Amino acid sequence: MIALKNLTLEKDDFYLSALSLEIAAGEIYFLLNRLDQDNDFLFLILSGFQAAGNGEISYDGNRLLGAKHPETAVFIDRVNDRADFDTEARLGQWFDFLCAQGLGSEDIFKTLLVGNFHERQLKKMVRDLAPETFKLAYLAICLAANSANVVINNFIKGSGKNFELKFNKLLLQQKAAGRAILFLGSDIFYASEIADRVGFLKNGRLMFEAAAADLKEMDIKDLYLKFLN
Amino acid sequence: MFAFLRFERRRIFGERKNLIFLGFIFLFSAYFIWSGLNEYRQFHAEKKIFLKFEKERIKQIVNYAQYGVFGFRLLYEASPLNLFFVNSSVLQDVESNIDSLEAIKVESSFKGKKLFLTRGYFKDFAGIPFIFGSLFMLYLGHLALVSPAYLRFMTGRMALKKYYALTTAARLFWLNLFFVALGLGLFFLIQLGGVAFSGSEKTIFFLYLLFLVLLLDFFYLLGQLTSVLVRFRKVFFLWFFIVWFFCIFLLPEINRISVFNKARVLESAEKVNLEKFRTLMVLEKKFRDYLKVNPATPLEQIRQMQKKFAVQFINSSYLVNTGLETKYLRDVEKVIAGHERQSVLFPTTFYHFLTGEASGKGYYGYLDFMDYIMKLRNRFMHFYLEKRYEGNESTVESFVKNDENIFRARSRLPKTFWLGLLTTIFYSAAFLAMTYWLLRRQVFLP
Repeated sequence: MIALKNLTLEKDDFYLSALSLEIAAGEIYFLLNRLDQDNDFLFLILSGFQAAGNGEISYDGNRLLGAKHPETAVFIDRVNDRADFDTEARLGQWFDFLCAQGLGSEDIFKTLLVGNFHERQLKKMVRDLAPETFKLAYLAICLAANSANVVINNFIKGSGKNFELKFNKLLLQQKAAGRAILFLGSDIFYASEIADRVGFLKNGRLMFEAAAADLKEMDIKDLYLKFLN
Repeated sequence: MFAFLRFERRRIFGERKNLIFLGFIFLFSAYFIWSGLNEYRQFHAEKKIFLKFEKERIKQIVNYAQYGVFGFRLLYEASPLNLFFVNSSVLQDVESNIDSLEAIKVESSFKGKKLFLTRGYFKDFAGIPFIFGSLFMLYLGHLALVSPAYLRFMTGRMALKKYYALTTAARLFWLNLFFVALGLGLFFLIQLGGVAFSGSEKTIFFLYLLFLVLLLDFFYLLGQLTSVLVRFRKVFFLWFFIVWFFCIFLLPEINRISVFNKARVLESAEKVNLEKFRTLMVLEKKFRDYLKVNPATPLEQIRQMQKKFAVQFINSSYLVNTGLETKYLRDVEKVIAGHERQSVLFPTTFYHFLTGEASGKGYYGYLDFMDYIMKLRNRFMHFYLEKRYEGNESTVESFVKNDENIFRARSRLPKTFWLGLLTTIFYSAAFLAMTYWLLRRQVFLP
């Protein structure tokens, strides 16, 4: 379970006012926010890299105090620039290294198989991978941690439909496995498609919350104009 | 740790451009070692000719008066280690002429083959890792930490401190291994090529290699620090070049200019020579005045007077002149000691000082050479005056016994070697700690 209580922070252009949320096991909560940089900032707070001004973040009742993730949650950031991960290593070598740090290679390959990953990609340098292959590899590493909570930041933004479908499949698998999933994004249509509950964040305040099933009966265009424009 | 070692080995040696650069360093180091070995062999061939020529020359000299004027030449032979540092030495191929004249001459010849022996800044074994190794280490230091996004990703799996420390240790392990293997491999190859090193020379080379490795580690850590300071931006390459240029070229040059400025307090060598000449001429004048007053002095009496003046010269003027020369040398020594102390302040400036001394043709090698010249000259003067005024003039006996006219300079470590080493370690440790502190502030936002 993911719980945010009165999360408050004001820093530069970012503003967050008393955000409180609870995401139960087996639930996908989609938090919609207009600006990507606000999502990035909130993601840093949730992953423990940015100290919150006030409030509390807890995963399964354990208060987040640092950035030691596997015990708390899996954090999946948007990774649009492979150069940020250019370790000058081949993908297989990168996997070997991470497996030596405690990740299970079976868990990694379980995710890769869902994404129709081909073994020859392991011999490629990370920088030479196709963007979606790299995203899949990144996702496989993140999910291999087998944590009960998952926080995702706009991960499919910029990806093709094919990758989105593979990702949805994996996400639903995670949900079925009883994981609490908090998705930060800006795509209201995608949110209504994948989430159980959707929240609208505007100017740092949670303005509106609805079940995804109810959302389908509402005027999405109106909601978009009201909260995300 | 083994996982880090394996991963970093693959990262460094699995990258083609790294291999090309390392191959380049290996090939050029080997080439300059080979070139140094050729110079070493050529020097020894020329040394034989020199010795033969000097023996022939003494046979052609008719009397001791002539011997006193012509004297004999003294050749400066650097230690075999010099072949690693042919371009890093302070002195070039020098020799001196020891005669009865008042000035001490130390000179270098550009005649014949030597004209084409133009030396450059990095064209020896010590120069290649210094210039290209430092560049490479700076670059690998920059690549080590990848990006803040990557570090956040890794920090989710292990503590930042652990990742940073183990990555740095593993990368330095492999890079140091390469440079140590390169140095030792070429050193043993040279031994196989027939050059014998004494025990102390071996120790000096190993300690030089230790300093080289620490210097390269210093650059690696500086690369990491620069990368973090410019927040991993692409503009790094501009800073990278500025930092490298500053450390490698600018600081040593500033140090060199500084020692030159300090050396301006020394009296001109010509002035010292002139003073010595004056002292000599005072005695000469006395002798001339004596002859003017007594023009009809018989030849035997003149000879006796000459002997008397010679004894007087040895006991007064010569001692004064030697004192002047010794004082001048001690003043030079003070400037050198000041330069050494200043060099310790930064690793690259100390590297220059170290390679100069390790080559056997450094500043202290020069002082040893001058001391040797003065001792030899002192003995020669006594020999010459004794033979000229007391001995048999029919055959000229050579003053030089065995290989006395070869000055064998020894390689040495500067007195401040351990201080220089500690300074480099201190800089490296400061960079390591500072990088971590800045990195934490970039990964964990306040």
